[in-house]
Formats: sequence, C-alpha cells, structure tokens
Amino acid sequence: MPEGLIAIADALPYLLQGSVVTVIVVFGAMGLGLILGVPLAVGQVYGRPALRRAIGVYVWFFRGIPLLVLLFLFYFGLCTALDVNLSAFTVAIIVLGLISSAYQSQIFRGAILSLPEGQLKAARALGMSDFKAISFIVLPQALRLAIPGWSNEYSIILKDSAVTYALGVAEIMARAHFVATRTYQQLPLYFTAGVIFLILTWMGTRGLRVLEEKVRIPGYSQHGA
Amino acid sequence: MPEPILRIENVSKRYGKKEVLRGASLTVNKGDLKILIGPSGAGKSTLLQCINFLVRPDEGRIWLEEKEVHYAHKRDLYAYRQKVGMIFQDFNLFDHLTALENVRIGMVKVKGMAKAQAGERAVAELERVGLKEHTQKYPAQLSGGQKQRVSIARALAMDPKVMLLDEPTSALDPELIGEVLAVIRDLGENGMTMIMATHQIAFAGSLASEIIFMEDGRISERGTPEKILFQAENARTREFCAKIAEFYGEKR
Repeated sequence: MPEGLIAIADALPYLLQGSVVTVIVVFGAMGLGLILGVPLAVGQVYGRPALRRAIGVYVWFFRGIPLLVLLFLFYFGLCTALDVNLSAFTVAIIVLGLISSAYQSQIFRGAILSLPEGQLKAARALGMSDFKAISFIVLPQALRLAIPGWSNEYSIILKDSAVTYALGVAEIMARAHFVATRTYQQLPLYFTAGVIFLILTWMGTRGLRVLEEKVRIPGYSQHGA
Repeated sequence: MPEPILRIENVSKRYGKKEVLRGASLTVNKGDLKILIGPSGAGKSTLLQCINFLVRPDEGRIWLEEKEVHYAHKRDLYAYRQKVGMIFQDFNLFDHLTALENVRIGMVKVKGMAKAQAGERAVAELERVGLKEHTQKYPAQLSGGQKQRVSIARALAMDPKVMLLDEPTSALDPELIGEVLAVIRDLGENGMTMIMATHQIAFAGSLASEIIFMEDGRISERGTPEKILFQAENARTREFCAKIAEFYGEKR
C-alpha cells in the first residue's frame, strides 16, 4: 500500500511534533505527581489519623473518577465556574498530575512500608527529628524501591495522555485523528500513532531501568542476578 | 564518690492490657556497666527503648546528669537522644549509606558539623573499632560483626554520655561474637557508661559492675556478678543463670 506509506511520510513530521506535546504533558504530570505524591505518602504513613483520612479521601477521589470525567470537570466545569482562563494543555497536565499523585502516593507508601522499622528507630536514636529521619534515611531508600512501580506509572500516564485529545490538546492522538479524518487514511495513521506510543513507552521504561541500576545500593542482592 | 549519670524512676509500659514493664528503677553511675539479663519477654528491650523514648513509657521519670528529661518537648528529646547512644540487636545501619556515611550522618545532620570535619571523626571512630579498611563499604557488603562495629562507631561519634546495648551479639554467628565483645570491653575499660542486655554470661561476669535480673517486666534481683551468678537469692535467677551458662557452653 504505497498510498498508506505516502500518507505516513506526509503526516510524520506533524505527528512527531505531537509527540513532543505528549512528552511535555507526561513529564509535567509525572513531575507534579512526584512533588505531591511524596508528601501524600509520608502523611499517610506517619501522619495523624485525621490527616491519613483526608489523604485517603483524596486518593479515593482521584483514583475513582474516570480521566475523561475529570478532564471535563476541570476544563469545562471548574475553569468556567471559577472564571480562570487555563489552556487545555495546562489543564491536561494538572489533571493527569493530580491523578498520578494519587497513584504515586500509593507506590511510595508501599515502598516506605517495605523498609524495616529499625531504620527510623536508628535515625531517631541519633537525635534526628522525624522530618530529618524521613528526608535523609527513609525517602532515599524508599524512592529507590519505588522505581519499578514508577516505571509502570509512566507507561500508564503516557497512554492516558491520549485522552486529553478530547480537550483539543494537540498531542499524538489528536493529530493522527485530524489527519486521518481528512485523508481517509485511518489505518496507516492510527497505526503510526500506536507505534510512536510504543517507542515512547520503551524509551521511558528503559531509561528508568538504567536509573534503577545506577542508584542500586552495592552489595544488595538482586532477584535473578 | 559515685557520680550518677542516668537515673530512671518507676518506668512502666503497657501494650493494651499487657504490662511489659512494671515500675523499673535504676541509677547508673559514671563508668558503670549494668548488665540486664532475663528470659525473653522479660522487658529488657522495652526498658532500654524506654530509656531513650523510642518506646514512650506510660509512667516514669528519667534524669540525665541530674536534669530531668522532658520528652514531650521535642527539642529536649532530640538533645537527650544525642547523648544516649543506642546499639540494636539487628544493627539497623542505614542501608543506602557507606560505613563512613553511616557514622558521619548524625554529626552532619544532627550536630551540624562540617562534612569534612565529621568525615575525619568518622574515620577515626571506624579505626577505633578496627574497620579502617572498610570505610567505603555498604552494609550489605559487611559481615554481621562488622556491621555491629559500624553501629558502635556511629553511636560513639555522637559523644554519648551513656550507651544502651540491646543484645548486641544475639544476631551474630558464634565466630563473630568475640570481635564485637572485644570492642565493648574496650569501651568499658575506657570509662564508657553502658547498660547492656545480653546472654553472654561470661562477659557479664567478668566486666559488669552490676547484674540486673528481669522477669515479667520487673527487676526481680540485682547485685554484683558474684552474687547473681553464684549466690542468687531468687530461685528463678539461679535457674536462669544455670541454663544460659549451660546453653552458651561456659564453665562456671
């Protein structure tokens, strides 16, 4: 099907520009999710009961509502109601970031809980405040353990980011759809979009794998190694 | 003239209905080595952890150098813990840090010392426990005996007034126990004040200034090693000492 190949070749630069948008949205969301997810996890593990409950509700909210509903709720609902003028691109990063913070908080919570209790005890015994003990002893270890879960979270957000096309964010899916409906070359264009996503998934998970190896604590035994 | 460093009065701890510690009192003078013995579940570990408030006592008061510890005030609590070194049965080294970093981190993050200066001190403390060659190794690369010696160096680097040792050799392979006991003996000879829970009866017999026998959360008998090990008043104490002496294969 030379026609299809020509369609792909013609649309490729346009789709690749979209992949830049996708990458920015995903990195923004992962970053926001990290910045919020770590304190959420710490609060849920070490906080007072009221704080734990509040975080539980937050996590329930953002994990419990479908992405598309949240995108519409924030973009068409909240932005209008509060009369704030945010671009679809910004709203996409915020909503994906908030959802990711809920998921990431649970990744970090699991990692923190998997550390032996003695680590915190030893830090306290040296005279560290809980804040110092968590910052210098608990989190450096927990974040290492969280990388495999984080890699999973990356691949999920990457794919979820395609839904933001519904707000008109000019990412890969929106562009593929735009060209496909005009050229009637649906098969090659959506196929190409899929391949771009596959490559981005591979690059990200591969990168995190390298990071995991790089920050591995020497002497620690590794499964399958 | 004995100089009291640490005074513990009537410390109690309950978990639900279970009383794990019932009114323990203890005065520790400078240079003392108090040895806690007793069956597991007697409250030795709880007592040690109550002393530096890793476990919050339900009742009781503690004085360090004649100053009462107000542990509800965080600042006081953190300052107090700096002066009370703690050695755990399972070492609890910080797994992501090298031996050197383990020893240095308290000086840098708690005492606010400069990294270079703290590093020099850390090397000196590691040398003192015989680990000069291992400063750059991570805990997972060290043997149990080496790990416990790093943890002793980590505590010493904070210049503690008292050290609490919670069965420091119980998690070690038999052939590694000696190297750790040698370090502790050395500390004692240099005047360090210590409270140590252990089953190493021979060690206790030769070095303790007092042996304290605990059972059911109570201090049930205390005295010189000669008295506790050979002429205990309490039948339980005699029975226990005979058993662990037999178990650890030590001549009496």
